[in-house]
This record gives sequence, structure tokens and C-alpha cells, in this order.
Amino acid sequence: MHFSIFRYNPEHDDKPYMQDFRIDLESSDLMLLDVILRIKNVQDDSLTIRRSCREGICGSDAININGRNGLACVTNVRKLREPVELRPLPSFPVVRDLVVDMSRFWKQYHSIRPYLVNDEPPPEKERLQSPAERERLDGSYECIMCGCCTSQCPSSWWNPDTFVGPAGLLQAYRFISDSRDRATGERLQDLNRDPYRLFRCRTIMNCTEVCPMGLSPSRAIERIRLRMLDVEGHGGGLARHRVPTVR
Amino acid sequence: MPVGALASIGHRLSGVVLATGVPFGIYLLDRSLRSPQAYRWVLGLCDDIAFRIAAIVFVWALSHHLLAGTRHLLSDVDIGSQLPAARRSAWIANIGGVAIALLAAGAWL
Amino acid sequence: MAVITLTGLRAWLVQRATAVYMLAFIVLFLARFVIAPPRSYDEWHGLMSGAGMIAATVLFFAALLTHAWVGLRDVVLDYVHVVALRAVLLPLLALGLVALGTWIVRIFWTIGG
Repeated sequence: MHFSIFRYNPEHDDKPYMQDFRIDLESSDLMLLDVILRIKNVQDDSLTIRRSCREGICGSDAININGRNGLACVTNVRKLREPVELRPLPSFPVVRDLVVDMSRFWKQYHSIRPYLVNDEPPPEKERLQSPAERERLDGSYECIMCGCCTSQCPSSWWNPDTFVGPAGLLQAYRFISDSRDRATGERLQDLNRDPYRLFRCRTIMNCTEVCPMGLSPSRAIERIRLRMLDVEGHGGGLARHRVPTVR
Repeated sequence: MPVGALASIGHRLSGVVLATGVPFGIYLLDRSLRSPQAYRWVLGLCDDIAFRIAAIVFVWALSHHLLAGTRHLLSDVDIGSQLPAARRSAWIANIGGVAIALLAAGAWL
Repeated sequence: MAVITLTGLRAWLVQRATAVYMLAFIVLFLARFVIAPPRSYDEWHGLMSGAGMIAATVLFFAALLTHAWVGLRDVVLDYVHVVALRAVLLPLLALGLVALGTWIVRIFWTIGG
């Protein structure tokens, strides 16, 4: 199978280049990550990729596969069009080969205060939720923070430092929807404090297109705007969709 | 490019085209209301092929912008905001805008 | 200058409200043209000089220019990152839109007698 992989080592490369690799698939090569790791082990051990759980939960092996962001560990390698072009997440600074610097992404994530804010004295046991209250978190708590969406969002390309981006905004919605959180008003105000933090979103929906978990950041953003308007009945959970696998 | 992204950049492009057309539109409106002679002059412009081509581009921009805009208005209130429906409506906006422009071209060229 | 400070939720809401009004206006206006197209200058002038039509049309252009301001400003905020260039483009844009608005008022001031 033919791969064309983005290579860049800032220590001795002047500029990035694409390197071709050819490898015969073995029966154990199910997912794209299996093959990348075998190329690394057998052909070129300098090839660099970030990965951890290799089963689609840790979110560390997000890369651009044939032009579309996805997780290498849950992408069926046999369904990919050849040559398979692998690049680091677009618009993120490259550390080396397929590894990108996520610090700006994390900074935006932290800016929405991704934790429960509740100064009331804690009850004897935990703060309980009814099943209906818990359901409102569906479609947002599943996010694995892989960065696929934000990396492929044009609004984030143009204003990466001021626009929170789809991943951060989906998490903002997750805490806005949480019955145990007491900072809903402040959260909404914070996202409306300038024309950038939330309102750069033009509902292009690339985020929802590429989410490997089938989540809808674009819908979360529309819901946050309705919450700002105090529209009733729009605080519910978000439906998930099937993730397209063919590229 | 995902079909939604195409609808979106088309929405922006058509918006800029429409905004560029506004001064010309106001100018024609002004002239057409001044006197019978000026009114006939405005109608006479329609014989100009360059004017017709510009009008067809304007028709594409207007129809795409209205279709894509309606799509956003509906999506805001949760109509067609799920991915499969959003893809369908993006196709409708993209093809609808071009189809209406082609109809206009068929009628005017 | 409330329009210029339109940001965030307010800008978003204004964009939707103006869009809905313009959509209704355009549909009704086109329908009027299809059902009974003005066949002469007198008919066209008569159509456009009714008090209701003047009010609706002036409101349409007010909506249009506001909508264009929010939309074009978004384009500038996305693509123009040189602060000095922005500081020139945005006032220029605002000025142009205000001039167009004045033009519209003048047209209908004259026609309304």
C-alpha cells in the first residue's frame, strides 16, 4: 500500500516535505495507526506520531487523512484511497512530522472554565442529578478533545487566538447545560463579551463533518445563542450521528 | 470540501457580490423614478449584453444568498441542524442558486 | 452610532431580523411584479410613490444597509488582521453605507413630494 507522509524535523529540515512509503498490508493491519506504527518500526524509526490508547478514546492520534481530519486508530486502512496522504492537523503549529503543538487549543479550552462552578456548601454525598438533567449532557460530554474540529474550522483559522473554536464551545455548552453548575449567566456573558469568542462561528459545520465521535459542535453553538436569548426548550442533549468511515 | 463549507463560502461570496451591486441598484432605482425618458433609458440597458451578464451573476448571488440564509435561519431553530439534513439543505442551496441563474440565463441570453 | 457598536448577540440578532424582513419584502415585491408588472413610467412611479410602499421600501433599504454592515464587517474581521488597515476600512465602509442611506432617503423624499 502506498503512503505519502508529511515529514518535518525543525532540527535539520529547512522546510517540510512529503515522503513516500510502500508497505504490504498484513492481516493484523486493521486500522491506519497499525500501519503507521509498522512503517515506523520496520522502515523509518524517525517517523513521529503521537498516540496513546489506540482505540479512539484518548484523542492523541488525530491527523489529516486524505484531506480530512480523523483518528488514525479508528480509521479502517483498507478503505482509504491511495496514495494515502497523511499530514499533521492543519492550522496547528507542527512540532515534528505528524505531531502538532496543541497549546493554543488548550488555552482556548481553559478559557471557558471547563469545570463545575458551584460555591454552595457540598451536600453529605455527591451533588445529584435527575436522569433528565443528566441527559442534557449527552452529545457534549463524550468529546475526547482530539482537535479534529478546531483544526478544520475556517473561523479558527482566521482568528485562532480570539475565537474559542468548536471544541471549546462544545465544552462551554456542556457546562452551561449542567444542572449542578451555578455560573450559567457568567458563562453566557463571557462568550458574548466581544465579536470573537463565540460569534466568529458562521455555522460552516466542518466541525460536525469531521468529529470522530459523531458530535455536533455547530449545534451546540446555535443552542448557546438561543440560551443567550432565553429561548426555552433549547437546553437539551445533542443527538449524535454516524461517523463516515470512507475517505 | 464538504458541501456545507461550499454553501458557506458561497454565502459569503454572494453577499459581497450583492453588496457591490447595491450602489448600482440604487442608481437605477433613482434614474427610473425621475422622468419617463430616464425610465426608458434604464429599460434600454437590458439590451446591453454586459448588463444582462451582470444581472445573471446578481441573480445567482441573490438566490444563493436567500437559500443559504433561509437554511441558517431554520438551522438556528433546530430545523435541519443535524448533519444529514444540513448536507441535504446545503446541496439544495448550492444547486438551487445555480439552477435559478441558469433559468435567468436561458431567458435573457 | 448604535449600529457601529453592534457586536456579539445583538449583531447576530439584527442580522436575522433584517434577513427575515428583506426576505418577506423581496418575495412580496417579486410577486407584485409577476402578477401585475408596471407597463409604463406612470404605473411604475405610481406604484413606488404610495405612502405604504415608500415606508416599506425605505425600511427595506435600512435593513439592507444594516445587514450589509454586519456581514461585511465580519468579512473584514476574518481576513484583515493589520490593525491600521482595519481602522481605515471599517470607517470607510460605514461612511459608504451611510451615504447610500442618505441617497435612498433623498429619492423617496423627492418622490413623496
